[in-house]
Amino acid sequence: MSTYWLIATDEIRYWRRSRLALWSTILFMSVLLATVLITTTRIETERNERMHHQQEAEQTFLDQPARHPHRMVHYGHYVYRTPTPLALFDPGLDPVTGQSIFLEGHRQNSAMFSDNSASADFGGLSRLTPASVYQLLAPLLIVLLAHGAVAREREAGALATLWAQGVSGTTLLAGKGLALIIAVALVLTPILISGLLALTLGESPLALLTLLAVYFLYLSIWSLLSLVLSAFLQQRSTVLAMLTAMWLASALLLPSLAVNNAAQLQPMAGKIETDFEVQKELRKLGDGHNADDPAFQKLRADLLARYEVDNVEDLPVNLRGVVASESEAQLTELLNEFAAKQMRSETAQAGLLHNHGWLAPTLAVARASRAVAGTSLEDHHRFLREAEALRFEFIQGLNKVHAEELSYIDDINRSNGEEGDKRSRVDASNWEVLNDFRFEAASAQQRLATAGYPTAVLAAWCLALAVGVFVAGARLRP
Amino acid sequence: MSARIELLREAQFLGRDRSLVLWLAVVAVLACASLASGVSEVHSQQVLIDSLLQADREERERVLDAQQDWGSAAYYSFHLTYDPPTEFAFVALGRRDQDPWKHRVRMLALEGQIYERDSSNPVLALIGRFDFAFFAAFVLPLVLIVLLHDAHARERTAGRHALLLTTSGSARSPWRQRAQLKAAGVFTASALPLLVISTLQGVAASTQLAAACALLAYVIFWALVCGFVAQREQASSVLLTILLGAWLVLAVIVPSGGRLLVDYFQPVPSGADITLTQREAVNDAWDLPVETTMDAFVERHPEWIGMTAVDEQAFEWKWYYAFQQVGDMTTEPLTDAYRAGRQRRDELAGIVSLASPPALLERFFQSLAETDLTASLAYEAEVRRFHADLRAYYYEQMFRKRAYESAALEDMPTFNPS
Repeated sequence: MSTYWLIATDEIRYWRRSRLALWSTILFMSVLLATVLITTTRIETERNERMHHQQEAEQTFLDQPARHPHRMVHYGHYVYRTPTPLALFDPGLDPVTGQSIFLEGHRQNSAMFSDNSASADFGGLSRLTPASVYQLLAPLLIVLLAHGAVAREREAGALATLWAQGVSGTTLLAGKGLALIIAVALVLTPILISGLLALTLGESPLALLTLLAVYFLYLSIWSLLSLVLSAFLQQRSTVLAMLTAMWLASALLLPSLAVNNAAQLQPMAGKIETDFEVQKELRKLGDGHNADDPAFQKLRADLLARYEVDNVEDLPVNLRGVVASESEAQLTELLNEFAAKQMRSETAQAGLLHNHGWLAPTLAVARASRAVAGTSLEDHHRFLREAEALRFEFIQGLNKVHAEELSYIDDINRSNGEEGDKRSRVDASNWEVLNDFRFEAASAQQRLATAGYPTAVLAAWCLALAVGVFVAGARLRP
Repeated sequence: MSARIELLREAQFLGRDRSLVLWLAVVAVLACASLASGVSEVHSQQVLIDSLLQADREERERVLDAQQDWGSAAYYSFHLTYDPPTEFAFVALGRRDQDPWKHRVRMLALEGQIYERDSSNPVLALIGRFDFAFFAAFVLPLVLIVLLHDAHARERTAGRHALLLTTSGSARSPWRQRAQLKAAGVFTASALPLLVISTLQGVAASTQLAAACALLAYVIFWALVCGFVAQREQASSVLLTILLGAWLVLAVIVPSGGRLLVDYFQPVPSGADITLTQREAVNDAWDLPVETTMDAFVERHPEWIGMTAVDEQAFEWKWYYAFQQVGDMTTEPLTDAYRAGRQRRDELAGIVSLASPPALLERFFQSLAETDLTASLAYEAEVRRFHADLRAYYYEQMFRKRAYESAALEDMPTFNPS
């Protein structure tokens, strides 16, 4: 053990004396800390703003005066996706997905107004977050520290001395690896700044630990890769050039090439395309605004039979409300089917993309990081589903009010002058059918389950490279 | 030895450098890959537009056939609007992946419709495509850095530096020539596929020339940066690190900082406020006296003065559409500020990107390809124009109480992208 430790401390001493290591560490840390500060401020502002908008939207709905209940169905409501606690480390899909949805009767709207759509355009790499600093820049720092681990000793002719002293190749690499583990651990500590803040916002410690583990695996991959190349190749400059090329491939090339691949191999129908199909299916259902629509004849007959009356005017419920409710239920079932299909194809396309993580660890770590932070595609889909559940709930609540609180006679005479208009309104206390909406992160267990596969990919990379290090150690000769 | 022979000697020498040949092959392959996927994406967008146009026409005919009055016809029929990709779009897909370039609009208040996004997969949008603009702006400099950083240091390590210095004419020429040849190789390997595929796609020669010149200037810029750093008498790993740092600053840090500053100093109204305001205005109108709505309406459309009387005992479509329009009018200040704010942000981004050649090159390609914000806003304006035409058409029918018949339907405006 002491030999390993000796080698490790010696390596760390070398880094402390190297201006290259010093300046790259300073540059990395300042970029990282600036990013942590900026992202935290930005996400916290967003959280407060969206929370405020949400409460305002709820209050506005409740404050509406007495009205015809169906007016409120069209008045609708807004929901906002508030950022999860760890979004201040990895905002993930937040800037590219719409933040709010307008909920109304008979329609499922898409999420509108993404952050990116109004932001100044500086190209794809211009949105640094703490997560992307770790994904994109931290490997470079590790590579700079590690590339000379063995090659430097070889160039200085020190390998023979070490060999003569009885230090085997495996021992040398293990010692250097130990130094790198310490370096990685130090590089990872700033995650705790965002992490501890997230804990105060209710994040589970388990998620934070997993996040640390995921990035530890990722940076270990780059450490091991550097060690292997440093041991196999003769010159330090070749090692660094090779590692730079690999970084270029993993961090820049392969992720966006994977996007091209996924878009081409797993094409996805857009919303307008799907809308035509929905329209086709919708024609088979009736128009819920029209209680005389033939599609609702059976419903009308059933109601008349159930209450043993001959005319709809004699029903204890308002036929128009019952029809609206029935038609909303049918419509929603259909729309949900299409929405689920859309989500499935998005998930499949993203799955194909993420499978490229076997080639590019940067893709795997990004995927795992978003999953743990609760800012992945799964979370966006959950937001859409929760918003839809809320929509259906309050729309049907209003339809129930329509059926039970407003008589059929008053309803059909609603355009009949001021008096008719007044009688067709129901009391504003009925708007209480709307429930509060707060978007919260999925449970830590659920997020960790999503992160499982990409984390396994990272672990597999680590394992394969660890074997590589052993082979390199065994074959290392002065 | 004449300069030409010297150059030829260096070229032969470099031709035997297997790693250089490999790098140039990688550049050519990546350029082709980015262009091919751009071409295929643009093609599928065109195919999609054609199929949507047909589906849209059929759907509208079916809907219009089933209606009995102009109001319902306007309510139930949608119109496809779209922004077809330009010939050069395959080079830089730009904002087409995040901004909407197709809508289906109807005569209701436009503000509730125009921000709908027929968006692609957000995971794909987050990472971004590998198009030629991205490749040239961000990847190419790194290849140049790897190839050019150790021109001097390598010879120094090999112990040939002094020899080369004394045998060649001037103190710098062998490295300068070698670097020039390498940079020329990188430029050719990337520009040639661009020009060949652009020609095949029928891109105008002037566009091709502009793109090639920009690319050349960009390669020269990075070659100069590399040459400047490579002269320093330091280990090649130090030189490489300095150059990677330069890339980081120019390609990542300046753009990120620039975005933050621009967004901070040029605020835009929150989009959600636009739709909220519009909703309030439209919904309040149900409870307002008809005259209030109609007075506001004829202020914008004086041609209908005197024809706005509405039967209060029944629902009338022209009142309904008038308050939809008034709803849009209420949000105009916000909408204008939203558009102007985005435009101003883009102008500022153009200025700041002078400090970031990668962002500058990407933005230049996007402007050539008309996939930048200017193009997005122009499309938005076209949708607004079309929607105004649609309104004018239906107002004519409704206010003049024309009979609903197929002859009049033929005059309905159709969307024609410019």
